[in-house]
Amino acid sequence: MFSINWLSLVLPFSYVVVLGGALMSFSTIYRKRKAAESANLEPWFGPHLQRNIYLSLLHMEPEEGAEKSPKIPESVIRAALLRRAVEDIHRIIQIRTAKAACSSLLQRGSVGDDLWQRFSRAEKEMEEELRDVVMEANALAPGWGQTIFQSANEIAANTMLRKRLDEIQAQTESEKQWWEKRRAQIQKEFMSELDGGEKPVSKAPSAASEDEPVLVDQNTPSATPSAPKKKKGKK
Amino acid sequence: MSSDYSYDEEGTLWPFFVFTLSGLVTLPLSYVLYKGTRDPAASFPRIKSDYRPTDAEVVDATRKKDRRKDNKLWLVFLVLLGWSVMAYTMYLIYVTPTTIRSIWNPYDILGISESASEKDIKSIYKKLSRTLHPDKARPDASKNETIETLNDRYVEISKAYQALTDEEIRNNYIQYGHPDGKQSYSIAIALPKAMISDGNGKYVVLLYTLLFGVLLPYIVGTWWYGTLKRSKEGPLMESANRLFRQYEENIDVGGVITALSTGKEFEEALKGDKADAGLSKIESRILAPGETTPFAGGLSVKDKEKLEDIESGPRRKALALLWAYLGRVDLDDDALTKSKYEVAPIAHSLTKSFTAISLAYGNTAPILASYYASQHLIQAVPPKASPLLQLPHFTPAIAKAVEGDSRTVMTVQSFMDQPDAKRRSLAVGKGLLTEDQYKSAVTVAKQLPYFRVAKAFFKVAGERCIIPSSLVTLVVKGRFIPPGSEAVPAIDELELEDVDAAEDDLDAILGRKKKKQIGKDEAGKPVYEAEAPEAVFPPLAHAPYFARDYSPRWHVFLTDSKQGKMAVPPFTFTEFDAPIYGEDGVAPTFRMQTMKAQFAAPPQAGHYTFVMNVVCDCYVGFDTKMEVTLVVEEASKAAEMVGEDEISEPDEDSLAGIMNAAKGGPPPKKKRAADEEEDSEEEESGTEEEVEDTSDTNTDTEPEN
Repeated sequence: MFSINWLSLVLPFSYVVVLGGALMSFSTIYRKRKAAESANLEPWFGPHLQRNIYLSLLHMEPEEGAEKSPKIPESVIRAALLRRAVEDIHRIIQIRTAKAACSSLLQRGSVGDDLWQRFSRAEKEMEEELRDVVMEANALAPGWGQTIFQSANEIAANTMLRKRLDEIQAQTESEKQWWEKRRAQIQKEFMSELDGGEKPVSKAPSAASEDEPVLVDQNTPSATPSAPKKKKGKK
Repeated sequence: MSSDYSYDEEGTLWPFFVFTLSGLVTLPLSYVLYKGTRDPAASFPRIKSDYRPTDAEVVDATRKKDRRKDNKLWLVFLVLLGWSVMAYTMYLIYVTPTTIRSIWNPYDILGISESASEKDIKSIYKKLSRTLHPDKARPDASKNETIETLNDRYVEISKAYQALTDEEIRNNYIQYGHPDGKQSYSIAIALPKAMISDGNGKYVVLLYTLLFGVLLPYIVGTWWYGTLKRSKEGPLMESANRLFRQYEENIDVGGVITALSTGKEFEEALKGDKADAGLSKIESRILAPGETTPFAGGLSVKDKEKLEDIESGPRRKALALLWAYLGRVDLDDDALTKSKYEVAPIAHSLTKSFTAISLAYGNTAPILASYYASQHLIQAVPPKASPLLQLPHFTPAIAKAVEGDSRTVMTVQSFMDQPDAKRRSLAVGKGLLTEDQYKSAVTVAKQLPYFRVAKAFFKVAGERCIIPSSLVTLVVKGRFIPPGSEAVPAIDELELEDVDAAEDDLDAILGRKKKKQIGKDEAGKPVYEAEAPEAVFPPLAHAPYFARDYSPRWHVFLTDSKQGKMAVPPFTFTEFDAPIYGEDGVAPTFRMQTMKAQFAAPPQAGHYTFVMNVVCDCYVGFDTKMEVTLVVEEASKAAEMVGEDEISEPDEDSLAGIMNAAKGGPPPKKKRAADEEEDSEEEESGTEEEVEDTSDTNTDTEPEN
């Protein structure tokens, strides 16, 4: 039989042990770190205020000393649920528009992997949220689940439109003032022109200068025939 | 005969090995280092201006600091190490005596000439045996001789004699160069023997472990995590992620600036006590009423609200500094002024990421906003402010005075298009520019590269009309006409044409540069035109406040105005084919420039009206917007036209025919009668006959006849 020289085998065995140990510790540490990272990812959306309001209305604790919790009117709960659905619509629109952009950017390497992880998590959360809202709606009024998001969508669209409208209308005051001023100035110039004859020529440029940028911008393409004509001109 | 490997015992070989190896590494690194130390911007033309803003020193210092950052210390160290190793090994090679084994020559051993006859050889041999035979000769101690050496010498002598006289041994000598036959040879590894000698084994193993167990994983790891850390556009991945979250569908330039402040780069630039220091001071300054704007920083009320919503910290300070930079607000503090000029290049690098994100969404407004943000950052002009601020010495008050009471801002072009006397009367005066300042502003304005589009059209190379899904080329022809240029020559109509390369001109089709043949000399050799000039770069952006050298880019893209969506993603142009400025670098040449962009035509026939945007990312107000119409013809109609024109129709089984079928075109018509063809030829106009001529010469592409 062979007599095995154990001492000389110590080196190769220790090599295997060290190698295996190094690889294993690397993989466990790496995985733990990854898991911790993805657990600490910032949520895509901030806290869902409307949902919180709805849930706290639903689970109102009885006040101290009182036996029963205060009775919440049905209409208030419904309104809270509708508000929650409106907020969900806003979020779902964001997710829908962002999805294609996010995936194409991820493919190109323009955004990071963790953004995509956050995004897909938010997407899943939204699905759950929608299902929950439909169920709640059905519980409050049978059959409401089918229509709640339709009305929520209309409300959301309307608020957005309103916001834009308000923004535009907020400018009216300053615009009005400017035009008043401008009209007064032009009137003054006009009057002085009428009074003084040729004198106010030096004053005129300020009026002319306003129109000029527009003019120059338009004549930029010195020959701008429409494209079909160009096609004929070619070749 | 042994072929065992031995190590380099005399130390004659390994220096060569090490010298070559270190040379292979050091020489390219030295080149890289040399390239890095030179200023890459030095090769670019510049806009000549003597204008120095008040903080010019700070801007220059920041610019220099950035340039120095690129020079890596480790590279210098590595190159020095490499050169010293090379020098040392060179020294070793020079010093080590080379043991050249002399060629065994029987004539030399016997001490006779090679022309000696056999008789002479014999007599010499006899004479030598008489004196040098070990039995006869006595070892001479003074010559350091022993019995052995005498023996060896005599053996050599007799070998030499035999090699010259004995037939067999002579054959050996001729074949192998030695009377004993084939000599043993050895292969030596060019590594010093010391490496494998017993005591050093563990050091070698240690070195190997360090190299392959530590250094290699480290290098691979840094490379891999380095690529993960940065997005494709350059900014940190984390910044790109944050910018993605900041994206809004109707974002404006101010919104983009606010979004950019989320960048992680700012956190690194404004570390420690820099994160908050002086924030209240900056804010009070930028929010103070400005000369012409509600706030000195040039921000709108919405931007101000956004700024105030941010918790204090690096982000808020970065945003405040950005507004201070854009509004050219004096911060009255050296450290703050320095950071003010440092944040702008960072923000500009982030705009690239934001552009990529808005391109992925495809809405026109954010794309334009991100390009405009880049312009404003480079020129230090707040959003919605007058583009005249780009000119030296112009302040918001002066720009306001020039613009009068107008609501729309005046671009540099429209200011410069006015006659000199008129713009002088507007800009020069008390509280306005002095005569010298006005002159310096006008000289700069007259050098700014304003690209004026002359014509833009679509074409398909080698085709007469555009069929669905074909590869369309958008050709933009235009000239660089600096604002206020006088005596601009009229456009030569011929230059507006885009002539296709001939079908057999492979060089042009493949984009290779070719010398143009001018004619032939007497000997019949073709004479070529002088080498066409290399690509021409526009001058570096005139941006006295921007602490980087930046070469301007032009982006051309098509948008759908009805949907507010991008139709064709931007093509970026940084170089041009014709010189922009004359020899002196100031006078424009007004040469026609061509920009081409290829994209796939829509799959349905019809008239498509796009808005073509030509945006320069360096100068405010130099953008061009114009409508272009893409006419896509039905494939069958196009084929008919092609048939009439007698351009070779793709054969059913040819590659072009298959392509045509794949595009949904009808199968090529069956062979027509020859006389019918002749008829159609007669009807053709003169220009089309030229086309026919070319197709006739390429008869091999003709389907039949």
